[in-house]
Amino acid sequence: MIKFLLFFFIIIFNSNYAASRNAGETEVTTEDGIEVFQEEKYYLLKKNVEILSDDFDLNAQLVKIFFENDLYDMRELIANEDVSFISSAYNVNGKGDYLQFEIKTQKIHVSGIGSELKLENTEMYSDGDIRVDNLRGSFSIEGPNSSLISDNTIIISSKINGIFEMIDGKRNISIIEVEDNNIANIKTDDIDMFSKKAVYEKNKSIIELFEDVKINRGGEIITGDYGIFNTNKKSYKVSSKDTKKVKAIITNTNE
Amino acid sequence: MNYLLSLNKRLVIILSFISFFSIIVIFLFNYLPSSNFELQKIENQNETSDILKPKFSINSKKQKIFVTANEGNFLTKDEIILKKNVIFESDNFKIYADNVIFNKKTLVAKTDDKSKFVSNNSTINSNGFDIIENGNIINFKGKSLLLLK
Repeated sequence: MIKFLLFFFIIIFNSNYAASRNAGETEVTTEDGIEVFQEEKYYLLKKNVEILSDDFDLNAQLVKIFFENDLYDMRELIANEDVSFISSAYNVNGKGDYLQFEIKTQKIHVSGIGSELKLENTEMYSDGDIRVDNLRGSFSIEGPNSSLISDNTIIISSKINGIFEMIDGKRNISIIEVEDNNIANIKTDDIDMFSKKAVYEKNKSIIELFEDVKINRGGEIITGDYGIFNTNKKSYKVSSKDTKKVKAIITNTNE
Repeated sequence: MNYLLSLNKRLVIILSFISFFSIIVIFLFNYLPSSNFELQKIENQNETSDILKPKFSINSKKQKIFVTANEGNFLTKDEIILKKNVIFESDNFKIYADNVIFNKKTLVAKTDDKSKFVSNNSTINSNGFDIIENGNIINFKGKSLLLLK
């Protein structure tokens, strides 16, 4: 009987809560008010802002929503402080200190310490900026502690640019360009690669490494100026402008 | 045998009690806030007013906001308190409120009472507002709810 009563009250309270927003509507709640700037055409939402809609939820402390002609016609959203969001329509979720979302162009920009952006098969992290241009299918990650995780590959670098291609409705990375003034790191299941620059091309199944190259696999370390890794065959080759410069160190990891 | 006699009396009583209790709960959740709001309006009816059915407008280059109310009282030389069925109306929106203080010199209107903003496919419920800069900026105060359709 107690279970029955609990179930009954859950149904009543949930139906009451659900009635506050109908399908297709966007509900925005704030703790400290909403300012409407009619000439500049934007809302300013203040403190503990929560946006709930059918395909986009967001929490932040301060949010600006720019509109076109009518107040409901949203053009752009800028959120600040403790921003977290999830979009089922764009299959994306993330968090950061700052979010800029251009609705028509589907451009997303997350920035600040501990920024995160997650797509279907890809996770992006940075203490700087993460940008995704969803219509054009490109992305960039820039700043300290930037990294990208995709299909058992981890890339750590201060600058990571890439291009997506849509396969079965999912964004898959086709090209990645990596650059770091110090050293960038690409890790797969069994190989650790270091260089100042790197380019991954999926259709060629290769990762090219440029400057201060170091490849480490199973205790075998090879250094040089240029490296190429075949992701299908799991084979690699390292070369150098000065032929004497290529160096291999083989250690017995079983010792 | 009559079907009604086969029912468990205890179960029938409990279900009746739950139904009655839930109706009361739903009634309280849905209608209590608006009842309080109505009560405030009724209390104000005994006051006398300096202006009956005040009507004026706030003009800017881009829009004209018409202001109407049932009653108005002068607080100072420049300030008027508008009471009962106060409406701010422009081509783009309507705001329903009560006890709005309007400064005819600065053209600033403000209230701390519950107010409702209605525009094309959007509404804002708040605990008061300030209308400043000839109506260009409307600051809805306190816990607020914006609904976009």
